[in-house]
Amino acid sequence: MTERKEHFDEDLDLRVSAGFSEDLRTLFKPQLSVPSEVDRVVIDKCHQHFIPKHWSHRIFQHVSLWRIAAAAAVIIFAFSLNLTKKPGPSTSRSVLAEAQAVDIDRNGRVDILDAFKLARHIESANRHIESANRTDKKWDINEDGVVNGNDVDLVASAAVSLPLQKQGPG
Amino acid sequence: MDSDQELIELVNEGDPDAFEALYWRYRDWVYRLAWRFTGNQQDTLDVLQETFIYLLGKFPGFSLTASMTTFLYPVVKHLSLAVRSKNRRFTTDEEILSELPAPVSKETGRSRSELAAVLTVLPDEQREVLLMRFVDDMSLKEIATALNIPIGTVKSRLHHALRTLRHDRRTRDYFLE
Repeated sequence: MTERKEHFDEDLDLRVSAGFSEDLRTLFKPQLSVPSEVDRVVIDKCHQHFIPKHWSHRIFQHVSLWRIAAAAAVIIFAFSLNLTKKPGPSTSRSVLAEAQAVDIDRNGRVDILDAFKLARHIESANRHIESANRTDKKWDINEDGVVNGNDVDLVASAAVSLPLQKQGPG
Repeated sequence: MDSDQELIELVNEGDPDAFEALYWRYRDWVYRLAWRFTGNQQDTLDVLQETFIYLLGKFPGFSLTASMTTFLYPVVKHLSLAVRSKNRRFTTDEEILSELPAPVSKETGRSRSELAAVLTVLPDEQREVLLMRFVDDMSLKEIATALNIPIGTVKSRLHHALRTLRHDRRTRDYFLE
C-alpha cells in the first residue's frame, strides 16, 4: 500500500536527504572546466550567424530611406510645378503627337516652338476676354473646355519628351 | 534578468547578445550532461559546441514550448550518442562511475564510491530519470517531455530507482524515515 502511494506521490523525492543530490552532482561533475577557446568558437559563430541579418536589415533601412527621400523629392517637385492644381491631360502625349494635335504650326513635327505659339495665342486671347478663340477646340489640347497654361504645358511636355515622330519635308 | 522566453524573442529579432546570454546560462548544464553521456573531455566539448550551434540554427523562428532544459536534453543526448558512435567510444555513465576515485564525504563519512556502486546496478532508464531529477534539477513533467514518455512512466522509474537505493545498506542513509 505504501509503495503504491509512493508510486503516484508528486513529492516522493522529498524523502531523500539534500546530501543525496550533492553527492550525485559531485560524482558526475566534469573534472575540467570549459576552455575559453570553446566559448569563443560558439560566440563567434553566434555573431557570424546574425551579421548578414544585421546588414540586410541596415540595407533595407537605407533603401527605405532612399525611397522616402525620392518620394518626398517627387512631391516637392510636383508642388513646385504647381501640378497638383492642374487637371491631368485627357489624352496621352504620344497619341497627341501622332495625331498632330500639338503640332500647332503644322510643320510636321512637335517642338518647343509649338508651345511658344500656343502660349502667345493664350496671351493674345487674354487681352480680348470675349474672344471666340478662347474656347476654340483647335487650341484646347487637353480637351478640358478651356484654353490655358495647361495646354501649353502639355505641348511643351510632348515636345521635350518624345522623339520626333515625323521629319519635316525634305 | 531576462527570462528564457524574453531572450529567445530578442534572438529571433536578430540580437546576438541575447543568444550569448542563453549560452552562458546553459553552458555548464549542457557541459555536465554531455560529460555524463560521453565520459571524456574531447567528446564533451564537441557536444557542447554542436548543441549550441544546433540551437543557433533554430533562429530566427525558434519557439520554446517547454523549458529550455527540456528542449536541450534530447539534443545533448542525441549528439552525445552520435559523437560516441563516430569516435567508436562506448563509455557510459556506468563506466564513468566505475572509473571514479572514491572521495570521502566529509559531512557523512560515507564513501561516494558506494553510491556509485549502487547506481551501476540500476537499469539505464531508471538511472537516467534519477539523474535528471537529482542532478539536472528537472521536474517530473520536464523529464516526461524531454524523454517523450508519460509522466506515470517517469514516476514509476524514479520510484523503482529510489526503492533500490533505499533498500541497499550502502545508500539507505540518504533516505529520511
